[in-house]
Amino acid sequence: MINTTLTKKILNTLLKTGGSFSEVFAQKKEVNNIRLEDGKIENSSSGFELGCGLRLIYKDSTFYAYVDSLRQDIILNAAQILSAAVNETGEIKVLNLSNVYSSYIAPIKKHPSDITAENKKEILLNVDSFARNYSHYIIQVSSNLSDLEEEIYIANSEGIICHDNSTKVMLSVSVVAQEKKEIRTGYKSLARTSGYEVFDIEKPSVVSGEAARIAVTMLKAVNAPSGSQQVVIGPAFGGVIFHEACGHGLEADSILKDASVFKDKIGKKIANNIVTAIDNPAMPYHWGSYAFDGEGFPSQENILIKEGILQNYIFDYKTAKKMNKKQTGNGRRQSYRDIPIPRMSNTFLAQGKEDPGSILKSVKKGIYAKEFSGGQVDPAIGDFVFGISEGYMVEDGVVTKPIKGATLIGNGPEILNKIEAIGNNLDFAPGFCGKGGQSASNEVGQPTILVREITIGGTEI
Amino acid sequence: MKKIIKNVNYKKSLAEFCKDASLKIKKLNVDEFEIYGASSTHNELELFNGRIDNLSFAETKGIGIRIFKDKRVGYSYTSILDNHNIEKCIDKAFYNSKITFQDEFNYLPLEEEYKNNKGVVDRKILFSEDFFNFDIKQKIQLSKKLETLAKKKDKRVTGINNLIYDDSLDEIMILNSTGFFDSYKTTLAFIYLSVISKEKDDTSTGDFFGYKRSPGEFNLEEISSNAVNRSVWLLGGKKIKSQVLDIVLDPFVAAQFLGIIASIVNADTVQKGKSLLKGRIGDKIFNGDFEITDDGTLSYGLASKPFDGEGVPKGKTIIFENGILKTYLYNTYTARKDKKFSTGNAVRASYKSTPEVGVSNFYLKPSKTSLEKIIESVDKGFYVIDIIGLHSGINPISGQISVGAKGLWIDKGSYSKPVKEVTIATDLLSFCKSIDKISDEIKFMPSGGYIGSPAMLVKDVTLSGK
Repeated sequence: MINTTLTKKILNTLLKTGGSFSEVFAQKKEVNNIRLEDGKIENSSSGFELGCGLRLIYKDSTFYAYVDSLRQDIILNAAQILSAAVNETGEIKVLNLSNVYSSYIAPIKKHPSDITAENKKEILLNVDSFARNYSHYIIQVSSNLSDLEEEIYIANSEGIICHDNSTKVMLSVSVVAQEKKEIRTGYKSLARTSGYEVFDIEKPSVVSGEAARIAVTMLKAVNAPSGSQQVVIGPAFGGVIFHEACGHGLEADSILKDASVFKDKIGKKIANNIVTAIDNPAMPYHWGSYAFDGEGFPSQENILIKEGILQNYIFDYKTAKKMNKKQTGNGRRQSYRDIPIPRMSNTFLAQGKEDPGSILKSVKKGIYAKEFSGGQVDPAIGDFVFGISEGYMVEDGVVTKPIKGATLIGNGPEILNKIEAIGNNLDFAPGFCGKGGQSASNEVGQPTILVREITIGGTEI
Repeated sequence: MKKIIKNVNYKKSLAEFCKDASLKIKKLNVDEFEIYGASSTHNELELFNGRIDNLSFAETKGIGIRIFKDKRVGYSYTSILDNHNIEKCIDKAFYNSKITFQDEFNYLPLEEEYKNNKGVVDRKILFSEDFFNFDIKQKIQLSKKLETLAKKKDKRVTGINNLIYDDSLDEIMILNSTGFFDSYKTTLAFIYLSVISKEKDDTSTGDFFGYKRSPGEFNLEEISSNAVNRSVWLLGGKKIKSQVLDIVLDPFVAAQFLGIIASIVNADTVQKGKSLLKGRIGDKIFNGDFEITDDGTLSYGLASKPFDGEGVPKGKTIIFENGILKTYLYNTYTARKDKKFSTGNAVRASYKSTPEVGVSNFYLKPSKTSLEKIIESVDKGFYVIDIIGLHSGINPISGQISVGAKGLWIDKGSYSKPVKEVTIATDLLSFCKSIDKISDEIKFMPSGGYIGSPAMLVKDVTLSGK
């Protein structure tokens, strides 16, 4: 996207009057989004973006500028302005640039640009009719089909050049069911770092049917209990518990600001010894996967917790340098307009040994939390929440009445020690994570787990 | 005869790009079109321990194009503003229109729809001349001062969690095929501070912000005091036992709940069967005689604009009067379906989005009762300073509310011990009915619009803890 000669010129212009690191990040992106609601295609939108971001690090400060262009004069002008932020003698000069390689291989079979708008419309109309046919209680179906294709070019003063491209597709379905005065919702999504071939393997009707099932089931929901309960947390999106309870607290920028409860805990036991947790952006086709992070570092598996012992944090270039550690390939950014920061990718609790059925059977009185609406955490104090969107009472080992939506609240380090059983049914679910004003595509995952005790915010004392 | 000028396009103004695009579209066989242009000069600064952690700046432009053909609409946007890419964007918008539904109400605002809203916005209130008096060094100084003030306020303050300064000078422009062509400029400055305090084994965070037309208007004393208090007051906070009780919501917490109410008076949500207020016009939704207004013309409102996302003048709409629901909020499409006029509530998050129904300055009129008097009237209750998990814990369609909360216990009319790691739960319609008293001081916050609320006393809410 930018030739080597110009790249060197940009990197050196940035470092002209001082600084320890410079970088250029160029991105070309095309997105499409089609929305269906009320039985019809309401909105069909597309977007085109092209630009680059320039970064200069001087001591502990990061200076950043971005432009909506790849024109030489515009980029060099921005580089000049940025370099003026530092007023010293330039010491670093970039002489050689060499390509970096990633072992991430995930070929795309059906590029979004090869799929016609009519084909996409068909997918959505099928989603709609499948959900509406599920039950006469269904009063509304909204569905979004979106795709993204991007080309990325990264080069930095440490001498690397990275060429990358990425393709993503996402189908989300929201269903509303009504019975008399009760209105309930169900949501399910399917999202992959792949092309449209995903819909040949995982049928849109399955996604639609699940969302409809949840909405209709919730029509019979009773008030959720209030107070401390034993909770069985379902697989896949249940992994949001780890993402909130622990994940954000392991991002190295929080550690460095002394704003994480997991500071100074490497090598220490922070969880029950059945807990192993991993962040891995190198899993082919998973929603949070990539060949290179937003700084051109190749993706790799990062074991965060091994049998209860904290192994590592989640680093980007700047935090790794500051803490004298190896980068982990977690320096992600939403676009060329953003500074990379440490972010999770695909974060999950590893496969356990228990049979999920047995886990449920072991609960005399508690809750089975099956599907979730998201969560939030304050990493400095460790208190986190996540919302149940499909949950049930468990009585004498049997799943009984569905319960209305409620939030679970806990404290990270405490909860990790209260995970008593981990199932053998590891699964994953896609989502978006917001941090520092940037949205990242993240996947969470886990098998069914049993948490000894967590507070549930229902209305039934 | 147009001269072919070599690509010096980046020096063109936003208006020139919009006009160029309109000339290109006129060559196609479309019925109507609308070009929405936005340009921005943006600065962002993050401070840590008295030095710059991140500093970022940019000048950007982008356009979003709606094409109407055979009563279908397609959309496309681009930030790549050269001839080839603008044409590509136009073609894509046209292509996109081919699969969307045909609807008799899909057309640009008519002349009579532009004239409906009476309020006129003085465009000078949208930006501050003083904004231009601050260079980057002064913004850095100001941010450093905020940090210094906060650290001095209480010896239990151990550090800063986040200190972010963000400002932008924006120009918004709409040009459409009915002849509408207008623009306006705004300045906005935002500063956010989150502090960490520690005492014995306990850590607590508290935050506050400033949101003004110019950094010169920030009250750094107030921001630092509030952030520190909201942190230290919660030190030693504990989980308490689950119970049903009265709660008093801090105005910023109340504003977040008000934001949920804003989403269900949205005509689009109502028409799609996703609002609990469908069919309830004329009903008393609040027990109190509350008045809730959306006013896009408010002189001190940071979401005020001369015209909305479709070019319709912003209006002032009283949505709830004496606790009774009077109307929903409309853009032109939803208004036509209900045989009403647009209330000027078409909102676009950016040039990347189509105009959807949204709020501008949305607020609950305060009372004449002070917060002190309200607290004094509570024998046993919980003052909620902050909530966590708003987006995962509130389902505006089903009405379920269950969010994490922290704050102070109220005992016999006075604030007492700090409480944390609890949740508060209710459902939206019960919540509205249970608002018993509101205070006399309204506070605004940016939350998908500019939402303002006084503090609220809400009866019989379930608190879950031990």
